[in-house]
Amino acid sequence: MAVKIIESCVNCFACEPVCPSNAIYEAKPHFLVDSKKCTECEGDFPVFQCASICPIEGAILDSLGLAINPPGSLTGIPPEKMAEAMAELQSH
Amino acid sequence: MQLPVLNEAPAAKGGCAASSCGSTDNQMDSLPDSIREKVQNHPCYSEDAHHYFARMHVAVAPACNIQCHYCNRKYDCANESRPGVVSELLTPDQAVKKTMAVAANIPQMTVLGIAGPGDPLANPERTFETFRRLSEEAPDIKLCVSTNGLALPDAVEELSKHNIDHVTITINCVDPEIGAKIYPWIFWKNKRIKGVKGAKILIEQQQKGLEMLIAKGILVKVNSVMIPGVNDQHLAEVSKVVKSKGAFLHNVMPLIAEAEHGTFYGVMGQRGPTPDELQDLQDSCSGDMNMMRHCRQCRADAVGMLGEDRGDEFTLDKIEDMEIDYQAAMEKRKVIHQAIQAEMDSKRLEKAEKAQQHKQEPKLTTRPVLMAVATSGQGVINVHFGHAKEFLIYEASPDGVRFISHRKADQYCGGDSTCGDGESTLQVTIRALAGCEAVLCSKVGYEPWEQLEAAGIQPNGEHAMEPIEEAVMAVYKEMAAAGKLDEKPETVRASA
Repeated sequence: MAVKIIESCVNCFACEPVCPSNAIYEAKPHFLVDSKKCTECEGDFPVFQCASICPIEGAILDSLGLAINPPGSLTGIPPEKMAEAMAELQSH
Repeated sequence: MQLPVLNEAPAAKGGCAASSCGSTDNQMDSLPDSIREKVQNHPCYSEDAHHYFARMHVAVAPACNIQCHYCNRKYDCANESRPGVVSELLTPDQAVKKTMAVAANIPQMTVLGIAGPGDPLANPERTFETFRRLSEEAPDIKLCVSTNGLALPDAVEELSKHNIDHVTITINCVDPEIGAKIYPWIFWKNKRIKGVKGAKILIEQQQKGLEMLIAKGILVKVNSVMIPGVNDQHLAEVSKVVKSKGAFLHNVMPLIAEAEHGTFYGVMGQRGPTPDELQDLQDSCSGDMNMMRHCRQCRADAVGMLGEDRGDEFTLDKIEDMEIDYQAAMEKRKVIHQAIQAEMDSKRLEKAEKAQQHKQEPKLTTRPVLMAVATSGQGVINVHFGHAKEFLIYEASPDGVRFISHRKADQYCGGDSTCGDGESTLQVTIRALAGCEAVLCSKVGYEPWEQLEAAGIQPNGEHAMEPIEEAVMAVYKEMAAAGKLDEKPETVRASA
């Protein structure tokens, strides 16, 4: 039972101080979660603290490997709209 | 040639400033002397000071506690110039070292700000450690901070301890319904709160923080991002509210939104305001509030005068090799600051005298004209047209000369021949000057001269090294005498 930070992390430090278990640490190339320390906030908070402040969709996965903040959930940009805009930029 | 100047604070204290009578648009004139003294060498708080003094930001604050629709938190890009973007994140120790290196090498740097790339007050340890050390080790540098306001009420006590007497709060709305269209979420009391509910909390915290700062005697500037169709109709109300609570300056900035920034507004096609729309809003707020018009919306690691960025000279590896004797640097800085101050004071006196003379002349009845000016500081025309990275826009009218805004010469697209529509850099620059009827620079080449004329913008290289306002008024009077101001301009004022 632990969350995982993956490579889309932008190293913004926001999650580190809000972790009730001090499980998050600065590392290269991005922050990591000590899976032995992570409690998924159980007993402390009803929601994952790291994933509640993380600004990057998809950067934190739950114990099943699923994005806690899926595409579009934080920025409000519909994923298809984002894909469209990126395709448009690529074509230039 | 006599000329009036509208935006500048004259040296004369008290009474009605000669240059401002009849105008409601002066940035500084209505301020009490105590505030004027605090901002006279702060480039971001005084339009006058920004021609002489430099500032820097240190990027020590990466975390943020809210999301704004004009921001993308994947901020690590060296080629973009806008708030929230930085190249290297610094530790407080590195930030102190960098600040002292810049202060020693750019002695006219008077102000150190922490502005991100996240929210400085969402990183209280890193932010306050930097401030604490700088107030001890570099006491001649003014410290300031900008914030979204969410964590502000809890930070006011600490801010006042570190002698930070300038705080900027970004307030885009006072209505949670509008806020929900700007802020998708906030992180508050261990939860992510979305929509109107989140915006309501943010607005309450901003207003409470503003009131607390004013009660402590800390100067507050309010920044607002103008987002057409979202808060443009609402910002006059924001201006009134923040003024009534004691904010002393309101800076309405245009939204920057391009699809390649990956922001909500950029991807969703939200447009920014045209220069005309921005100016109209600033003018409509100015009856109630001192408006700031010279903001360059700089990066969270900018270094130098407002129109420039010398960050490349002070990267971590470069400052590592610099040996700084700060005591010696402080002595040198003091002498230079005094000299600049004396120059500014004498120029202000001169301007006030000229304005007085102008009042006694028969008043023109001609229409106002926008002019672009190429300057790199000192308040004079001193940049070659082709070298200008930006132009300052002034309005000349029978009432005098007032500063309106700046326009970038090198647009975001780069504007070279690889650009989709095949525009040259020159064409892009000319487009950026839309609405201006003259451009004043130290020199103009033959090719741009012809193209500027063809675009209805009269190039003028006759006023090199002259004070901006004097030169603008001189050209205005020439235009009036030549009968050019009797009818409407041929070019459209607005740029697309």
